[in-house]
Amino acid sequence: MVVHAKIKTRIGQFSCQYTISPLILPIILYQPMAQPLLQPDKWISNYSDALYAYTLVRVNDSALAEDIVQETFLSAWKGKDSFKGDASEKSWLYTICKNKIIDYYRKKGRDIIQPIEGKDVSDGFFNEAEHWTTTDAPGDWGIDYQQAIESKEFYKILNGCKKKLQQLQQSVFVMKYLEDLDSEEICKALGISSSNYWVLIHRAKLQLRACLEKNWINL
Amino acid sequence: MRFLMISCKKAGFLLSKKEENKLTWLEKIQLKGHITICSFCRRFEEQTGWIILNAKHAHTHSEATLPEEVKTRLQNLLTD
Repeated sequence: MVVHAKIKTRIGQFSCQYTISPLILPIILYQPMAQPLLQPDKWISNYSDALYAYTLVRVNDSALAEDIVQETFLSAWKGKDSFKGDASEKSWLYTICKNKIIDYYRKKGRDIIQPIEGKDVSDGFFNEAEHWTTTDAPGDWGIDYQQAIESKEFYKILNGCKKKLQQLQQSVFVMKYLEDLDSEEICKALGISSSNYWVLIHRAKLQLRACLEKNWINL
Repeated sequence: MRFLMISCKKAGFLLSKKEENKLTWLEKIQLKGHITICSFCRRFEEQTGWIILNAKHAHTHSEATLPEEVKTRLQNLLTD
């Protein structure tokens, strides 16, 4: 007895009927068994430095970055049975690490009791009419803004400038631009209002830009 | 026409809002109008965009490495 599976499709006014022989069903239904490939014994040699560098530019503290990398590997080790293999081992580890970094910022956000009001640092950049003051107006950098830079010196200075940001500004900057979270997620994680968020992100940009102009362009 | 004019400070705020497509139609017109006439704010937009572009992959330019003793300790933990 031959059993035929009938599949009817209807596109617009046309309808047609396919007959599929059961012989080819196994081919259609066959899905290769996922072969999760994890090699925990090679994690340290393959990924530890890269994950450490990734974390360090995000938290700006070597001891803390060490802790986060360690926690990343330990969580991965504990959860290795849940690895489904739908992502590569590398991106799986980065995702765990990224979550640890966001967790850290979330915890830190709750601890910081920092008056957002008070002295408005961005006022320094603008005059009474809220236009750029002559000293703080963005200068001409004479570079191609579409092109990323390779200079080691630049990254050193960028890091230094990032460290100089106020804690909350730094958190907001990293979460927004390095972790690609949107403003709602960031506000929720840090427990700040959206109007605070816009102030913080704007000030972070103002300060970073001014710091780079001072220390890198006008070197 | 006056309601279309905004300050540089306001324009800066709107630039951040623009990144998330959160501008109202009025803000869009205000920002566009301001950026067209204000070369400083145009520079600000270009320069901050460039800083962010670089900051995103700063880790690939980092020479930082995990201290050896941490690696050894972790390696032992993971091979247990």
